[in-house]
Amino acid sequence: MSAKIQRLAEIDRIIHEPARLMIVALLAAVVEADFQYLRQTTGLTQGNLSAHLSKLEEAGYVAIEKTFRGKYPLTVCRLTERGKAVLEGYRKIIRAAL
Amino acid sequence: MNHTSSRLLEETPNAIACRLIQKAHNQDGLPEIAIGLILLTAAALQWLQVAFPVGSPEYKVAPLGLGILVPALILGSQWAIKTVRGKFLIERFGYVEYKPVNRKRFWAAFGVAFLVAFAMAFAIAAKSLPPASWLLATAGISGGILAVMAGRLPRFVIGGVLMAATGIFLVLIRVPLGTGFTILFGSMGLLSLVSGCVVFLLFMRKPAAAGE
Repeated sequence: MSAKIQRLAEIDRIIHEPARLMIVALLAAVVEADFQYLRQTTGLTQGNLSAHLSKLEEAGYVAIEKTFRGKYPLTVCRLTERGKAVLEGYRKIIRAAL
Repeated sequence: MNHTSSRLLEETPNAIACRLIQKAHNQDGLPEIAIGLILLTAAALQWLQVAFPVGSPEYKVAPLGLGILVPALILGSQWAIKTVRGKFLIERFGYVEYKPVNRKRFWAAFGVAFLVAFAMAFAIAAKSLPPASWLLATAGISGGILAVMAGRLPRFVIGGVLMAATGIFLVLIRVPLGTGFTILFGSMGLLSLVSGCVVFLLFMRKPAAAGE
């Protein structure tokens, strides 16, 4: 039991932050989503979401692509394979500890 | 955000995602408008069997409509909602590509629906339908539970409770089966349509945020 709890120390701090966990969990449940959808769904402010996405992109967990749909500019976000693996690891550690 | 943060710690990532996606899916009221139109169509078709004599063309059209048109509307509404959001509401709703439907779950739901339809057809053919009261109450209560599970927002809970209450009320006043279903589908369809339109208007009044 204590070994399982000790594994909490190995938890990924980048996705453990609530707002980033929310973003990563959302992106894991869809194929891809744009900035506006993530903003609407998470309730984060534009600046806040932008900062968290930048951190996730820097860590290689999220891929961001700027594109257009008609005349509307889209910032499409997608969870990378690395991001999926880290989320799965996070899920296992939390499940085991709780 | 504080409330959201504290809730996040109590949920698994899957549960967080499901809750947020479901909330986002219902934020513009379009799913409710679609459900309202489908229920009103079902009520109109059911009414044909109440208002016209057995054997008349209108009476014969009703089961065909309920068997073909209503399922087609259910499937078509998903495509219609996606198209409207993609073409006209993208600045407000944003863009999302959902994962394909889980095939196992889809076929399980299809199997259950097929079994229920087969049992009903068999009961009608054998003239051994359960009492009207039993059917109406079951439809009202199960419809109410479905509404609560599908929406999980206060307005869906109110709609679900009202649907269950309407089903039970119709049993208590002993209305015939056809009339009961017409009233049940019609009232719930109207409620869903009005609630969806109000949510849609409120959603459209919110200023669209600039893209990133």
